[in-house]
Amino acid sequence: MSKDLQQEADTSRKLTVKERKSMFRRWIFSAGLGYNFESQQAPSVAFSMRKALRKIYPNDDEYIEAMDNHYKYFNVTPQMGNVILGATLAMEEKDGIKSKDAVQSLKTSLMGPLSGVGDSLFWILFPTIMGSIAGYMALQGNAIGAIIWMAIYIGLYWVKMWLFNLGYTSGTKLVTTLGAKINVFTDAISTMGLMVVGSLISTVVKVYTPLKFQTGKVALSLQTGVFDKIMPGLLPVCLAGLVYWLLGKKSWTPTKIILLIIVICLVGSFTGILGIAK
Amino acid sequence: MPVFLQNILVILLAAYMAWDNGTGNQITGNWPVIIGMLVGLIMGDVNVGLVIGGTLQLMSLGVAAIGGSSIPEYGVATIVGVFLAIRTGASTGTAIAVGLPVGMLTLQFDVIMKIINNFFAHWSQRLLHEKKFEKIDWVFYLTVFCWMLKYVIPITLVVLFGTPIVKAVLHIIPTWFTNGLTIAGGMLPVVGIGMLLRYMPVKKYLTYLILGFVAAAYVKIPVLGIALIGGAAAYAIYQHNSQKLTQEAAVVTDSNQADEGDDFDE
Repeated sequence: MSKDLQQEADTSRKLTVKERKSMFRRWIFSAGLGYNFESQQAPSVAFSMRKALRKIYPNDDEYIEAMDNHYKYFNVTPQMGNVILGATLAMEEKDGIKSKDAVQSLKTSLMGPLSGVGDSLFWILFPTIMGSIAGYMALQGNAIGAIIWMAIYIGLYWVKMWLFNLGYTSGTKLVTTLGAKINVFTDAISTMGLMVVGSLISTVVKVYTPLKFQTGKVALSLQTGVFDKIMPGLLPVCLAGLVYWLLGKKSWTPTKIILLIIVICLVGSFTGILGIAK
Repeated sequence: MPVFLQNILVILLAAYMAWDNGTGNQITGNWPVIIGMLVGLIMGDVNVGLVIGGTLQLMSLGVAAIGGSSIPEYGVATIVGVFLAIRTGASTGTAIAVGLPVGMLTLQFDVIMKIINNFFAHWSQRLLHEKKFEKIDWVFYLTVFCWMLKYVIPITLVVLFGTPIVKAVLHIIPTWFTNGLTIAGGMLPVVGIGMLLRYMPVKKYLTYLILGFVAAAYVKIPVLGIALIGGAAAYAIYQHNSQKLTQEAAVVTDSNQADEGDDFDE
């Protein structure tokens, strides 16, 4: 892919392939580290663009003006940030300080849609699928799942490099080529996420009660005799519904809900209402 | 491996984890199963590391720091749990009982760090205006160093003082308590699931949620199989909707460029 870049090199190109790669690395190895509540990932953006922009703007004043632009609010899934930064780099390299406003609007207009895809893929789909596979393997003392996970994430380095180059070669065209399509993609991929989540409710969530009803001589187990007869995973589904509802309330954070569940389980274990699932 | 060297390596792993998870690499990330394996490797008992890591992995499924939101530090919980289980011989239930609270307390460091980073961000921009360009890098490295401290501080405390405390606690923890935590371990994945459902368009695609549930609960298809069916559905929907999009674009050529990117959600 770097060959393609060299072929289209013309007089407007001020950066070498090596310098661009260095910028990519500065971003991917720092993306969320400067994270703050005011400008979020902006310090990392400034850090990663600093050297490449210096080459583009030898004039101190222009350089400061251009860098100031990158200290503004920025937040994107780190893996997808490459695309945006690649595109802004190409724009600034081509048009210099004149591109300042265009750079800013490209950044703000693309970070939402790209985070939508990035979060779905890198934070939800992959870790959820791989996590449940590797997690169950690990419970049996099998490390293969965890090792494959690491190997895939190491391999992603080159995918991210490709994304960076995609952004760089597209430049301003990025908004028109990706723009609306990316939202369609995020929307579609969420069906995959929802199917996986639906499956997890019945396989990963475990609620079990050892309670028994004594009617005359016959003991009826509440779990196997009633709940499982109605529907497999009846209690997990009810619990999932409850948590979903609670999360919609402003006063309930995930951490509070985790504490609530732990308390319920302790009480349940003490009174014998809840038991360890078999 | 000597005890001293193990301690150092565990603390270094915590530092690496903080760095790796804050970047776009996430090779170890905060993923409990990977961290558990690595701590197990350092401590000389990979099996214990995998079992505790795997348990915490399943507990934390779907709990993701989307848009930089703060969630319990399951990676820290894993390091603490595996470290103490191997040192003291505590059971998986007890290890998680000790690890999880530390992971939740570490969350507070995360919030503090993001406030401190604000100060670093302004410092770095001030240096830019003073034309001390090279120093910007050094301020950033300082940020990274502080960022690592958010994991290094709690883990160091646990490494130094955790073992005797846990050994003392082991004798007084009643069985119902560790059982209760094991039960909680089975129930907690529901929090991640709830968070995912809040993030995704449940009402629009309820069909697929139900399909996924039925495929797993009744038909017993493994998760990868269900993901593939979901992928097929996603592909069909994408094809359909992007075709619709190009048709619409053909009708109204330039009116759809103005409303992009306004659905940015945290």
